[in-house]
Amino acid sequence: MKQFLLHLDETLKLGRKFIIQDLDENHLFISGDILDILQAKIDDLMDQISFPLAEKNS
Amino acid sequence: MGPPKRGGSNKGEGKTKKRKKEEEEWTYEEDDTNDIDETGEADIPGAAARNAERNDQGVQEDEFGAKDYRSQMTLKTDNASRPLWVAPNGHIFLESFSPVYKHAHDFLIAISEPVCRPEFIHEYKLTAYSLYAAVSVGLQTDDIIEYLKRLSKTTIPDGIVEFIKLCTLSYGKVKLVLKHNKYFVESPFPDVLQKLLKDPVIQECRLRRNIENESEELITQVNINQVQDKKNVVTFGAKPTTSSEGQGDGTTVPDDITNFYEKMDNEEDDEEASLQTVSFEVNQEKIEVLQKRCIELEHPLLAEYDFRNDTINPDINIDLRPSAVLRPYQEKSLRKMFGNGRARSGVIVLPCGAGKSLVGVTACCTVRKRALVLCNSGVSVEQWKQQFKMWSTADDSMICRFTSEAKDKPMGCSILVTTYSMITHTQRRSWEAEQTMKWLQEQEWGIMVLDEVHTIPAKMFRRVLTIVQSHCKLGLTATLLREDDKIADLNFLIGPKLYEANWLELQKRGFIARVQCAEVWCPMTPEFYREYLVCKTSKRLLLYVMNPNKFRACQYLIRYHERRGDKTIVFSDNVFALKHYAIKMNKPYIYGPTSQGERIQILQNFKFNPKVNTIFVSKVADTSFDLPEANVLIQISSHGGSRRQEAQRLGRILRAKKGAIAEEYNAFFYTLVSQDTMEMNYSRKRQRFLVNQGYSYKVITKLAGMEEEPDLFYKTREEQGQLLQQVLAASDIDCEDERIPGEGGAKSGATRRAGHLGSMSGADDAVYYEFKKSNNANKHPLFKKFRY
Repeated sequence: MKQFLLHLDETLKLGRKFIIQDLDENHLFISGDILDILQAKIDDLMDQISFPLAEKNS
Repeated sequence: MGPPKRGGSNKGEGKTKKRKKEEEEWTYEEDDTNDIDETGEADIPGAAARNAERNDQGVQEDEFGAKDYRSQMTLKTDNASRPLWVAPNGHIFLESFSPVYKHAHDFLIAISEPVCRPEFIHEYKLTAYSLYAAVSVGLQTDDIIEYLKRLSKTTIPDGIVEFIKLCTLSYGKVKLVLKHNKYFVESPFPDVLQKLLKDPVIQECRLRRNIENESEELITQVNINQVQDKKNVVTFGAKPTTSSEGQGDGTTVPDDITNFYEKMDNEEDDEEASLQTVSFEVNQEKIEVLQKRCIELEHPLLAEYDFRNDTINPDINIDLRPSAVLRPYQEKSLRKMFGNGRARSGVIVLPCGAGKSLVGVTACCTVRKRALVLCNSGVSVEQWKQQFKMWSTADDSMICRFTSEAKDKPMGCSILVTTYSMITHTQRRSWEAEQTMKWLQEQEWGIMVLDEVHTIPAKMFRRVLTIVQSHCKLGLTATLLREDDKIADLNFLIGPKLYEANWLELQKRGFIARVQCAEVWCPMTPEFYREYLVCKTSKRLLLYVMNPNKFRACQYLIRYHERRGDKTIVFSDNVFALKHYAIKMNKPYIYGPTSQGERIQILQNFKFNPKVNTIFVSKVADTSFDLPEANVLIQISSHGGSRRQEAQRLGRILRAKKGAIAEEYNAFFYTLVSQDTMEMNYSRKRQRFLVNQGYSYKVITKLAGMEEEPDLFYKTREEQGQLLQQVLAASDIDCEDERIPGEGGAKSGATRRAGHLGSMSGADDAVYYEFKKSNNANKHPLFKKFRY
């Protein structure tokens, strides 16, 4: 997950850099105001990789 | 009133759907269609396009999407003792704990398609196809409605009654019968036959024996009073009559339910005896036209073969061995096929490992005419031969194999086993093969057994039909489903689905193994995930398959199960990964280019050599590789979201194991999934079918004990880095799934290689790659997309 954030940060997907400090293996220090957009972005990713088990009727 | 016909029903479908439609249409061009309408459903009767699904529009839904049907159905007072609900949209819900479950279940299997069958409540759906199938096994419209009424907790919605009537009234009224080698159209309903005969096209198809005689009388009255006593009804092999229905413990079963089903069961047998049947003879060359026309007139012909009265084709001398004992469900499925002393064409659906071959062999032994068995690989040809030798009295001289490797002398043999591609091969053949083909075409086959019938596309199937003349066709499969919806066409190309078994029930009774399905989540290593995010899609696949954590999980599982003494198969669709994993762990592997001899050698070793407990296979082993010993399956990469593949793979370990009751589970099915990648999505998608069959998946996020395991590969960062380099260096062609010749559009599948001695000893992998790459590079990108 950390890699995903780094990726977003580097490619400026959200319009700007938001990572302030790379702390360790699993932690990043990010600016607080971006949090909402970031959460939405992660939800998107999760939606992409999950699939509803119930038969979907198109 | 009636369900909406097609036309309106296609609005609102996405673009992708439309493309699929176009594709389907394209496949049909060679099929028996004259009037391809825009939906591409022209070669099936109009009624089949009807759908009960939309009957319930306008019904109120609550906040969870549940529908309120109370206004349409009223609860009966004795509802507690009745097992099911019928919803106005054609879905039926059955309580599997009800005392009359067994009767209701048999009945529902006959008239509807199972949708979802977990432990307590089963969901079925009435469809036009399923009702067609019901009629063809001898159920009558009124009986279906009547029995459904009795079983239901509520009244049956009018729409459903209407739907059943619509779908069944015109079906199954006319039969195409082959008697004394003449084709007859036969029907117990004179008016239906009259109607057919008024049609000019059908008149032409009719064979007129004596022209001066046929002035007024259009229909020859034939009084077929086949006195079919019980003695005459087919018995299979030497088996005790296990079919005694265990009555539902006499608690609160309403009498009408049990009685009625028995009545219906009996009717099946003696209806033939009392009915007067009218028939007319048809011209053999016009059969094709006739069938097409009848479908257009909404009276599809049911094909039946009166094999007992066939005196022209010689009987072959085979019987079941006394040791061959049919299981109850096998017998039941066969009884559907030979219900009235004749052989019906159709499809039997049994889980893998539940003994499909025995059903096939028994069917051949029952018909006792020349039999043709078609399967989809050389290995399964061998396996079918063995099955025949094991279960029946056939010996080597009677069974002839016809594959590219083994060509036995066909003349005078009675069972021919071959592959689909061998029959439909259009290029030049060797002289010997040419002779065999000629012989094959001249023969009139009693029965044609189609193994793994779901794999063959309609087009290929038609080609088989034009080459082979067979009286009846039996399709065998475990998974009657495809990601495209072409499976429905089989209903009309081969015949209706005759029987479908319930996986969970067979598992409970110990006929197939108890499987624990698990999805193991392997976190992506940071480096790999980083690359995953930046690289292009085709490379992504390789990255998540080659994830070092996945490799380690795989290695750990293999070791764990080897210590338990289990036999493990590892599946990988991706050849690059397959080779890498196998070579690194020093295990044998089989994939497309592996020669027949080597395959058999590896499989033999896997079976008997206690040192070889693990093999790696690509998707060539998905179907019809019979590996009865295997009980652990690890899947490291797979073909997208294919439900069928998942089920087929599970089937490799389903064969019942010894000591079945000893443990809670005796087989294990692991899917290794790289976390946070598209693989998660695919994995969910693939599981749908098995979940609907009542299987549950366990998600394992962390394999306990993996950290303690010494010397697993790729522990350190450096090693992982090297692996990453290798992966990134891999060419595009490595990223793709393996192609199997004859599948999809990849025609380059015929693997002819520049041959020199070095390649015989497997010395030059590099040469292979070069060759393959150049071969595929000039392939048009369009072809890649249209694989299933």
